[in-house]
Amino acid sequence: MYNLMLQLQLLLAALSAFLPLVPDEYRARAAEILDVAAKALTIGGSVATNLDDLAAKLAAIRADVEAMAASGAVVTAEQLDTAMTRVRSASATFRAALRTAEANAT
Amino acid sequence: MRYPLRALALACALTITPACASMQLGQTRFEDPVSAAQTLDQRAYAVLHAYAAVVEEATDIVADPATPLSVKRALGRAERAATPAVETLQIAVTAYLRARAEFEAASGANQTTIERSATALAIAARHLNTAVAAAQAPISELEGLVRARRG
Repeated sequence: MYNLMLQLQLLLAALSAFLPLVPDEYRARAAEILDVAAKALTIGGSVATNLDDLAAKLAAIRADVEAMAASGAVVTAEQLDTAMTRVRSASATFRAALRTAEANAT
Repeated sequence: MRYPLRALALACALTITPACASMQLGQTRFEDPVSAAQTLDQRAYAVLHAYAAVVEEATDIVADPATPLSVKRALGRAERAATPAVETLQIAVTAYLRARAEFEAASGANQTTIERSATALAIAARHLNTAVAAAQAPISELEGLVRARRG
């Protein structure tokens, strides 16, 4: 997905480079269209990021663990504390959201 | 702008394209961080972070007003079953790290101390293995519900 985003951004950048070749009467309009396209691309990117949030998080964790395994690093107590703090925080937030959902349903 | 409809169509196409690409229509690839681990402590570390990521995603689902209440309750039950197992895992991995540190510190000590710390390390490793195995099923259940919802 990120490759596609990059390709589209590069395409826009390449098209922008041809702007000086566009006749004067159309140049402003072409620039305007490219500007709108760039903004749309930014919005689309953020939507896509939300859609594969879990996949991205799991991939990041796997990359972290792979780096540890490759270097033969041992997990430190601080790293474990950080991981457990994340679990507790996620669990507390989840339970609060569930309570809110139950309250709204009644 | 002389052709606002054309510009709008182009904008819509460019907005939707990356989002559709990320959906991959049922082929979203979920990495398994646990399988990348090579040691017990790395495995436990991967389980903790991966579980947190799943719960974070479950929170988004529960906070979504469009999610049916039955799904939210099923997620709640799965989380209540999985989190205690993960807390047990954290206790086990902490004990394992302590036992390993004591074993490494005992390398210059007498034979009895080395044997005692080696036995303690073996027991801690066995407990950690058991805790990781026990956490797998409830975590998988929650993850399955999240994936089914996000499908």
